Amino acid sequence: MLKYLKSTVCAVAGLALGATAALANPYEEFAGETLVVNFPAHPHFDAVMKVLPEFTKETGIRVEVDQLQYLKMRERQTLELTKNRGDYDLIAYVVFSKADYVYADQLENLARFFMNPKLADPNYEAEDLIDGYVANIGVAGGKKGYLPGPTGSLFGLPFGSETSILGYRKDIFDKHDLKVPETYDELLELVCLIPELEPGMGGLASRAASGHHASHAFLLHLAPLGGRIFDDEWKPIVNNEAGVEAAEALKKIVNCGAEGSKTFGFAEAGASFLQGNSAMFLDSTVFAGQVNNPDKSKVVGLVEWAPHPVGERAGSQTGGFGIGIPKNAQNKDAAFLLMQWLTSKKADKLIAMAGGNPSRYSTHADADVNEKFPHMATFGEALKNADPDWRPIIPVWGKINADLGTTLSKIIVEDAPVQESLNGVAERTQAIMDDAGYYTWTQ
Amino acid sequence: MSVAIKANRLTPYMFLAPAGIILIFALLYPIGYMIYASFLDWSPSQRIGQAEFIGFRNYVNLWGDEAFRESFWVTIRFAAIVVTLEMVLGVGLALLLDRNIKGMAMLRTVFILPMMIAPIVVGLMWRYMYHPTVGIFNRTLKNFGFEGIPWLSDSTWSFIAIVIADVWQWTPFIFILALAAMQSLPRSALEAAEIDGANEWQKIVMIKLPLMMPVLIVTLLLRLIDAFKVLEVILVLTNGGPGLSTEILALRIFRTAQEFQELGEAAAMSNLLLMMLMVLTIGMFAYSRVQEARLARQRAAVEKDAD
Repeated sequence: MLKYLKSTVCAVAGLALGATAALANPYEEFAGETLVVNFPAHPHFDAVMKVLPEFTKETGIRVEVDQLQYLKMRERQTLELTKNRGDYDLIAYVVFSKADYVYADQLENLARFFMNPKLADPNYEAEDLIDGYVANIGVAGGKKGYLPGPTGSLFGLPFGSETSILGYRKDIFDKHDLKVPETYDELLELVCLIPELEPGMGGLASRAASGHHASHAFLLHLAPLGGRIFDDEWKPIVNNEAGVEAAEALKKIVNCGAEGSKTFGFAEAGASFLQGNSAMFLDSTVFAGQVNNPDKSKVVGLVEWAPHPVGERAGSQTGGFGIGIPKNAQNKDAAFLLMQWLTSKKADKLIAMAGGNPSRYSTHADADVNEKFPHMATFGEALKNADPDWRPIIPVWGKINADLGTTLSKIIVEDAPVQESLNGVAERTQAIMDDAGYYTWTQ
Repeated sequence: MSVAIKANRLTPYMFLAPAGIILIFALLYPIGYMIYASFLDWSPSQRIGQAEFIGFRNYVNLWGDEAFRESFWVTIRFAAIVVTLEMVLGVGLALLLDRNIKGMAMLRTVFILPMMIAPIVVGLMWRYMYHPTVGIFNRTLKNFGFEGIPWLSDSTWSFIAIVIADVWQWTPFIFILALAAMQSLPRSALEAAEIDGANEWQKIVMIKLPLMMPVLIVTLLLRLIDAFKVLEVILVLTNGGPGLSTEILALRIFRTAQEFQELGEAAAMSNLLLMMLMVLTIGMFAYSRVQEARLARQRAAVEKDAD
C-alpha cells in the first residue's frame, strides 16, 4: 500500500513539476519554429538585429529577417499581403500603411492574441507603451476611422517611435546668450536673428523640397499652431488662420535658413546641421543618433535637445514604425510571441542600449539608458506631447500630401500667395475626399 | 490541294509562330493588362480582380487634373528642348569630327562615356555639381566674384538644370549615330560635288544632311521616345520640384502609383503617354515615307530628263 502511495505521490509530483516547467516556458511549444519577418533598413531596426539573437536564445524560435529599403519594403508587403499564404509572419509598417492594410483586411486584430492566456504575458504592462503611438500606429476603427475610440481595435504595436524634437547648438546659444525657444514666437524670432549674429549660418535647418518633405515640414508647425488638415466632418481647413500661419512660419524658417535650404530634404537638412551650417534642427528623433558620430558630424558634443516649441498647443510629430501580424501569416501565434517580446520592457531597453528608439516611457526614464544616451529623458518628455492626429491617416492622404507639398514648394520658391495657394489645396482636397466617399453621410 | 502543298503553305507561319507567341505574351498581354487596369479603381492592396470597374472615370479625372496638365506641358517642353539641342549638338559634333584625326578612336570613346553611366549616378553627380555651396558651378562663379545661381531652388533654373544634365548624357548618342551615318555616305556624291565646286557648307546642307536624313529621323524618334520616359535623373535631381516645374509625366506616373497608391489612374496616364508616343512614331514614319516618295519621284524625273 505504502509502495503504491509512494509511486502515486511521485507520479503526481512529477506531473506537477512537468506542468510547472511547461508554465515556466510558454515558448516551449514553438521552439524550433522559424519566423520570417520584414523590417526596413533603418537605425532602429539595425539595433533590433543586434538584439534578436537574445530572443532565439531565450525561446528557441529562430527569426529570419528580410530587411529592405523603406520604399521597397512597402512594395514587397503590398505583394505579399495579397497572397493566399504569405511568406511574412511579422511585418514592420509606417503609420500611413496602417490605413491601407487595415482597410484591406490584411492585418490581424490583436485582441484574440491578448485574450489567449497561453500567449499573453501578464507582466507585459501595455500602459507603459507611449499612448500617442499606440493610438497612432496600433489602433484603427475608432474616431475618424484611424484613431482610438469606443469602436477601435488594436492591429499593431508601436516599434521604433519617433517624434519631433529641437536640436540646438549649445555653443552658439551660450556665445550670444540666447534662450532656448519654448514657444513658436521665440522660435520664429530666433531663426532670423541667428544669421545676423553668426553670418553664414542658417537659423533652423528644415526640410522644404517639393512634395513630401515640404508637406512634412508644414505639418510640424501646423499642429502646434492650432491647425489641422480637416475638421471633424472632413471639411478641409488647411487654409484657415492657423494653416496660413504655419505656411508663413515655414517660409520664414526656410528664408532664414542656410544656403540652398529651399531644396533640402530630410538628409540635406540634417547634413546642414551636422556640418555646422545651421544653429537648430527641428525634426524626427531618429536623427539624434548621428549627432555625436565623428564620422558624420562636425558638431560632436556641441548639441543639446529641447522639446518641440509650443504654439496654441503642444503637438509634436508621430512617426516611426509599428509591427503587426499579416492575415496570411503562417505562424501567427509564434509571431505574436516575438512581437510581444520585442515590445516588452526588457527588449525595449536592450534595443535602446543598442541604439534603437524605445517605445516605452519606462525605457526613456531608465538610468542605464540615460547614462548612455543623455538626451533620452528629454525625448521621453517630448513623446508625451506626440499628437496621434498630427496628420490624417486615410488612404487618400498620399495624393493630398503630394498636392500640399508641391503647393508649399511654390509658396517657398516662387512666392506664390499663401492664402490663395492654400485655398487651392483645400478645394482640390475637398474634391478628392468627395470622390473617396467621405461626404456620403453629410450631403 | 494536296497535304504536301498545304503543309508547304503553312511552313512560314510555323516558323513565325514562336515569335508570334512570344510577342503576344511579352508585349500584347502587358499592354492589354495596362489598358484594362486603366478602367479600374485599383489600389496596390487589392488583387486586380477585387478592384472596382469604373469605366472612363480615371481618364475623366485626368482631364480635370491641373497637376497632370502641368506635367504634360512640362514633358512636351522638356522633350522638345532637349531633343532639339541634342540633335543640333550631336550632328554638329559629328560634322566637326568626321575627319582623320590622330587619336580619333580614343576621342570617340571619351565622348560616349556619359551615356554609359547609370542614370541614378548621373542624377547624383549633377545634384552635387549644382549644390548651392559646395557645387563646382557655384564655387567657380563665386571665385570669379559672381553671385551663385539657385540651380535647383528656382523653377526656371531647375528646368535648365535638368535640360543640361540630359543634353550632357544623351548628345553622345546622337553624335555616335550621326558619325556612323556620315561615314557610310557614298564618297562618289561628295567627290562629284567637290568637282562641281561646292563649298563645305553646301556639301553639308545639300549632300550630307539629306543623305543622312533616314538615320537622323530614326535617331530623333528614339531620343524623343526616351525623353518622354526619362525618370531617374529628374527623380534624383529635383524630384519634380520646385512646385511641379520639373515633374515630367513619367515621374507623375511613378508618384501616382507609388505615393498616391492609385494604380488605375497611373495606368490611364501610361496609356495616354503610350498613345502620344505612338502618334509621334507614326507621324515620323509617315513623314519619312513621304520624303522618300518625294525623292523617288525627283530621281525618276531626273532619269526621265536624262533619257
